Order: sequence, then structure tokens, then C-alpha cells
Amino acid sequence: MPHTIRDESCYMAPLQLAGRLIMENGGETYRVEETITRMGQALGLEGVESFAVPSGVFVTYRRSDGAYETAVIRVRKASTNLARVDEVNDVSRRLEAGEVTFEEACALLQAIADAPPPNSKLMVMLATTVSSGGFTVMFGGGVIEFAVAAFSALAAQLLTVLMQRRRLQGLVTVLAGAVTSAFLPMLFNYLTGLCVVDATVAGALMPLLPGLAMTIAVQDTLRGDMVSGISHGFSAALTAVMVAGGALLAASLMSIVRGGAAL
Amino acid sequence: MSMLTDLIRIFISSFVGTLGFAVILQAPRKAWIISSVLGGLSYSLYWGVMQLGMGDPFANFAASLIISLTAQLCARRMRMIATVFVSLSLIPLVPGLGLYRCMELLGQGRNAAGLQAGVAAMISIMMIALGLAIGAFIFRAIISTKPKRILNQGGERP
Repeated sequence: MPHTIRDESCYMAPLQLAGRLIMENGGETYRVEETITRMGQALGLEGVESFAVPSGVFVTYRRSDGAYETAVIRVRKASTNLARVDEVNDVSRRLEAGEVTFEEACALLQAIADAPPPNSKLMVMLATTVSSGGFTVMFGGGVIEFAVAAFSALAAQLLTVLMQRRRLQGLVTVLAGAVTSAFLPMLFNYLTGLCVVDATVAGALMPLLPGLAMTIAVQDTLRGDMVSGISHGFSAALTAVMVAGGALLAASLMSIVRGGAAL
Repeated sequence: MSMLTDLIRIFISSFVGTLGFAVILQAPRKAWIISSVLGGLSYSLYWGVMQLGMGDPFANFAASLIISLTAQLCARRMRMIATVFVSLSLIPLVPGLGLYRCMELLGQGRNAAGLQAGVAAMISIMMIALGLAIGAFIFRAIISTKPKRILNQGGERP
């Protein structure tokens, strides 16, 4: 290996950073383990082992004096950023291919960690709006349904942002978003009778559904990573229950508006 | 003719929906268009199989299988992580409409019909997962021919 002699504990920092970046930004656990192991081997380390679960990463390797260097990284999931996962993956691949040196890889990883998400919050909000409208048309809606779904999704987004300012996060915001995105189209239809409710609500709910978590759960389970498969699967199921529960709440609210008895 | 306009409408709308998701999940920009095209294709395929009268579970399975294979090929070609393409392109298949119908019926107190819709949505999800699982398996077993890795365990040390 073309590396100069240096204190062997310095190799831990980039391995830790790479693992944390992948895990925090929505990568799979096997990718974390594989990336750390490969990077470690590319750096010429012996006995590199890594164990990742969705809430933490463990890294260990053996120094030349026989002692083990170990780190525990507690991961708290940030918002999904697949570009970041891809960039870390690219750094690891290039390090392995010998295209970058150890120092360059460290600098690249730090740059990835420091870079802001490529799409601003406003852009994400806009994308959610358009995406909801698109799925509404996919489910058989027309122009009016597109507009109503987009508006409802926007309202749900704004509500989520407001809730996050008040430090409310996670499933509560999903529930609130689902109630908003389901209730507004129903109310609009009740008042004007102009839109196909089910396509509109389904479209508006789509951005809240856990498509990514579901995919990752399947892939993890398939690889035999039961801990993270079950963890992601449970998280996906819980989110889906929240979305469905929100829609149910909205439907009961609607029956109150209509004057009937709720449930 | 109306079939064709329907197909075009479905492709474009699911393309737009997936593109929105690419922004939401902060996917790498160079993957936006391809994953959105795959997203459009996935629902178009589902719709096409449904038109052939093969039923919802098989339509989901077929679309998920074909698209997950294609997505992994694209990822390999573009030297990017497969998660980007696979997760984005399968998003239009997630049964949002079925889930909503189930909840609406339950909300109206029509429990039997609601449960029926709910079970149908669950089956769709299982079929998508199955298609994805088998797609990943096929890709690894047949298509992906990785060069043998030489592990430098016990090799030179810095």
C-alpha cells in the first residue's frame, strides 16, 4: 500500500464519517458495512469489521501492535439525501481503485458532510406539490383534481413546517399531514361537487407514504439483515398506519361536517 | 385511440410524480430524468397488464420485477447506487388509492368493504416487494458478473 507511516488511529475518522453519512441520509445498512470494510481494506488495514443497524454503526480494526481500534457511532436519522449516499459511495470506490489518496478521501468526505442539501426546502415543497398533482392525474384525475391535490399537499407541507418549528417531528407530523391532505379535497368536493375525491386524496397522500423505507426493508431482509429489515419494515408500517389513520380521521371529520354521526 | 391517450396521460403523470420524489429524496441530479422515466414506465406497465385483465396482484408483481431489473441495470451503467433508481421507480406502484379507499370505507362504517380494500392494498404491497426481491435475486445471480475481488487481508501494511 502506498501510504506513508502515520499514527494508525487516524484511519478511524474517515471510516466513521463515511458510515455516519450513509446511515443518516437514507442508505442501507449493508452499504454502510460494505463501504467501511472496503475503505478499510483499501487503506491496508487488517481485521476491519463493521456492524451497522439503523440507529448506530460500529467500526473496528487491528493496529500493527495488535491492539484494536474501535468506534461506536450513534446515528440519528436526518432527512433522506440520496445524492450524499451516492457521493460517499463514489469516494469509497475511488479510494479502492487508487484514484484518490487517503488525505484526498478525507477531504472529500468532509466536503460532502459540510455541503448543504442540493435542493432547498422551498424546492422540496414545490416538488411535493407537483408530485401530488401528478399522482392524482395518474389515478385518473383531471385539471381540477390536480389543482386541489397540489393545494392540499402544499397546505400539509406548510403545516409540517409549522409543526417542526415547534419541535414536533416524526409520526405526529405525518398524521397531521395526512389529515390535511385527505380532508381538504373532501371539503372542496362537499362545497363545490367538482372533483373526484378518491383520486385527489390518494394523490395528495402519496408523498407521505413510505415508499423508500419499504424498498429498503425488502432489500435488507432479502440480504439476511434481519435487524435493519425489521426496523425499516416496522417504520414503514407505522408510517403507513399513520397516513391511513389520518385519512380515516379526515373521513370521520367529513361525516360530522355532513351532519351524520361519525363512525 | 383513447387507450393511447390514456397511456400517454398515465406515463406523463407518473413521470411528473416520480420527478417530484427525486427532488424530495435529494436524488443525484443526473439520475432525475432516468429514474422518472422508469417511474413512468412502472405505472404504465402496471396499467398495461391490468388492461390485459390479469388482475392487480400480477400487474404489480410484473411491473415491479421488470422495473427493478431495469433500474439495477441503469445503476450499474451509470455507476451509481441502485437504491436511487429502484426506490424512485417503484414509488408510483405504492397503492395509495387502495389504502385511501380502505380508510374511506372504514370511516363510513362499511367495515367489510373497507377490510376487503385494505387486504387488496396489502397484497399489492406484498407483490411489489416480491417482484423487487426476485428482481434483485435475478440481477445478482445472472446479470451481475462481478470480477473476483482480491481481498488484501494479511497483505502489506502501511
